[in-house]
Amino acid sequence: MGRYIVRRLLQALPLLLAISAVAFAILKAQPGGPLAAYEGNPDFTEADRLRLEHAFGLDQPLPLQYLTWLGSFVRLDWGYSFASHQPVLVLIGERLPNTLYLMGSVFVLVILIAIPIGVLTAVKQYSFFDHAVTATVFTFLSMPTFWLGLLLIILFGLQLHWLPLGGIQTLGQPFDVGDRLRHLILPVATIALVQMGGHVRYLRASMLETIGQDYMRTARAKGLGERAVVVRHALKNAAIPFVTIVALDMPELFIGAVVTEQIFGWPGMGRLFIDSAFRSDYPVLQGILAVSSAFIVFANLFADVMYGWLDPRIRYS
Amino acid sequence: MSRVFTFAFAIALVATACASPQSTPSTSSAAASATAQAITRGGTAIVAIWQEPSTLGAPYGNQTVLGLVINGTVEGLADTSNDGQYLPTLAAKVPDVANGGVVVKGDKMDVTWTLAKGIKWSDGDPLTSADIKFTWELWMKDPKVNTRTGFDQIESIDLPDDLTAVVHYKSIYAPYPRNFSSILPKHLLDKEADVTKTDYVRRPLGTGPYKITEFKSGDSITLEKNPNYRGAPDKPYLDKIIFKSVPSSQVALAQLQAGEVQAMWNLTEAQTPDVEKTAGLALQVVPGPSVERIEMNTAQNKQYTDPNSVHPVLGDIAVRKALLYSTPKQQLIDKLLFGKATPGASPVSQGWAAYREPQEGYDPVKANKVLDDAGWVKGSDGIRSKGGVRASLTYTTTTGDQLRERVQQVLVDEWKAVGIEVKITNQPSAVFLAGSCQANDPRKLGTYDIDMFASSPAIDPHSTMLRYHSKRIPTQADCAGENYTRFKSPTADAAIDTAGATLDLEKRKASYATALKALNDAYVIIWLYNRGSIDARASALQGWQPNAWRSFTWNMQDWWLKK
Repeated sequence: MGRYIVRRLLQALPLLLAISAVAFAILKAQPGGPLAAYEGNPDFTEADRLRLEHAFGLDQPLPLQYLTWLGSFVRLDWGYSFASHQPVLVLIGERLPNTLYLMGSVFVLVILIAIPIGVLTAVKQYSFFDHAVTATVFTFLSMPTFWLGLLLIILFGLQLHWLPLGGIQTLGQPFDVGDRLRHLILPVATIALVQMGGHVRYLRASMLETIGQDYMRTARAKGLGERAVVVRHALKNAAIPFVTIVALDMPELFIGAVVTEQIFGWPGMGRLFIDSAFRSDYPVLQGILAVSSAFIVFANLFADVMYGWLDPRIRYS
Repeated sequence: MSRVFTFAFAIALVATACASPQSTPSTSSAAASATAQAITRGGTAIVAIWQEPSTLGAPYGNQTVLGLVINGTVEGLADTSNDGQYLPTLAAKVPDVANGGVVVKGDKMDVTWTLAKGIKWSDGDPLTSADIKFTWELWMKDPKVNTRTGFDQIESIDLPDDLTAVVHYKSIYAPYPRNFSSILPKHLLDKEADVTKTDYVRRPLGTGPYKITEFKSGDSITLEKNPNYRGAPDKPYLDKIIFKSVPSSQVALAQLQAGEVQAMWNLTEAQTPDVEKTAGLALQVVPGPSVERIEMNTAQNKQYTDPNSVHPVLGDIAVRKALLYSTPKQQLIDKLLFGKATPGASPVSQGWAAYREPQEGYDPVKANKVLDDAGWVKGSDGIRSKGGVRASLTYTTTTGDQLRERVQQVLVDEWKAVGIEVKITNQPSAVFLAGSCQANDPRKLGTYDIDMFASSPAIDPHSTMLRYHSKRIPTQADCAGENYTRFKSPTADAAIDTAGATLDLEKRKASYATALKALNDAYVIIWLYNRGSIDARASALQGWQPNAWRSFTWNMQDWWLKK
């Protein structure tokens, strides 16, 4: 097991390296560049442009720029933003708690709601409850988040005045838990309603498959209560595909929800990424992309390790 | 792995959806009747900004919203009034030749600035002339500053006493009054090796009515009363001003309507009816210096075009005249800009050198006649040709700009009606407005027929006027200029040179007028409209005054909230 994890981690290194190189190449291939924003100023001269290119290291050959970035990145010096001149680690550090707060709430809420509903729809297959859940789930699943988010803002913010239109808290007021939660409701609902659908359907499908297995009949024959049969025998075995998609959600705790954060003006990682993308702020973009891809690789590894715990028949080699 | 690409793609989608290419702000007025009423003190005003300033360090930023946020904190020696005159801010007076503050010595000049007495930084330290010298030194020393234009013309600065700085320029630098528009605190920054790595770029120390007390990335910037302000304790009236970062102008407008914010920066013309029909909101429209224009390439449409080559269609002045005559400026303004703009006449729409001699008006009959007379004959499809050359052109502006796309639709129809075929070939603003040959800006390369964009003149019109000097035509050897039409006129060149060599405002104004007349007589640019700056506020927020040259936050010390 330990050897398996070490081997997987070692395998991940060339993959992450390749991802960062491709990301670097894609970023550099975008038109414009970090100095484009200066061009609106009639006083900005060619001499100014050359000086800034040199100051930002943009006058170096591309492979050298990449290697310089990589060299400092592994030494945990992620460089400075071209636009704000703040260290990339500081910029990420400012936004990460807000994204963890938002996406963590979504993550917990989705699991807490999707598991019981997914199990119930499978146990009570083709009941009215099952049909109602399926219809609701597909409705939200097929809604784009940007549209659902705006819809919720218009309904609960502009029409009913129940909830704030955006932001993380009411400005100019002291910290207040109730106020924080009120700001949290709409963005969480926007992401959770869409995300939950997939989770419920996954769990329902794998539960249905498990419920039909022979050992379920055996469990009942042993005289186990229905509750124990469903939770201990069916759910644990049905959880494997579910764990995969939950594990793949975990990188979003870091990446954030780009669209939702933008709509609700949430000061998280997603908006940092968008704002940096507008400005071609390479150091920030590279930092976020590198960490995001690492999270995704590790989340996959985590899912694989979880399989073994859920199903001891799975062997690592 | 595929998730990374999906993610990047999603970002690209959102980026396109959210792109708002225009970002020209300014000031405002609608109700400036505050003086008569009793002023209420205290309270907090929240201003929505839909672009976050990445830095608040004046030397390093390039965003309009930067000035908007630090206007109440970081001050300069002199500022600009609504009519484009210089007014002293930290200086006791604005030096000029008449008051002896400016002495011209051959092709050099000395400018003597005297600070007003008793001004303190918000931390209580006195403002001295050493701060002026330090400002220049930092700008010239720090490799990360935005532009050194102006500061690079200074040879040395003498400090005869604590309040006086004598600035020795190595050339005649006419825009000297706005050279020192942000004074930096020497006592705070002198020992710093790299100012961009200090707290100053988040919470700059200034002399203005407010000090910046909190910068929450992606969320808000909080300003509180500066107790050491020279106007204290009378001003400022408001205790706090908070700039709230919101994702778009639509969101800003929704929050203004919902009462979550008291003011918002920069509306599009299309949003103005929403404000006008909401009770308790007021619109602030100020004619800004930004002019939307259509430029016509007189040289061949090809990479690194030879400025002396002749465009097969636009090389004929008759075609250029016909395009102007068949451009309905007023109709565009009324229908697409909700009447919130004025027809353009020149690139210098505001200020002391404003040139407002209108171009000839909309007259399709005249357009047809000019083309007929010049030998452009309509073919069976209604498109003209002459000597085997078809009057077919491309028309380039920024992609995704709704207003510009609508303007294009109208003009393509209008021009087709007089027999000129125009095809739209828009490009992303990152390319079209890149301003460099390496980034393939078609205006720089000469790879366009007709373009459309906006540009604002600086308060001193000289850098704007240089755009029409023949030595400023971008070429492969020197890509620096912005004379994109490849306009060449000895008259204009001489007039611009004359204006650049004197400090006599009347003489400069007359010279610029000569150059602009020559430019308009060549029919290479259609000045579409002067775009106003539109901001909105809750009617309870009082004290706003218009200023065409500065963001609406220029007089925040006068703002107050009606209870």
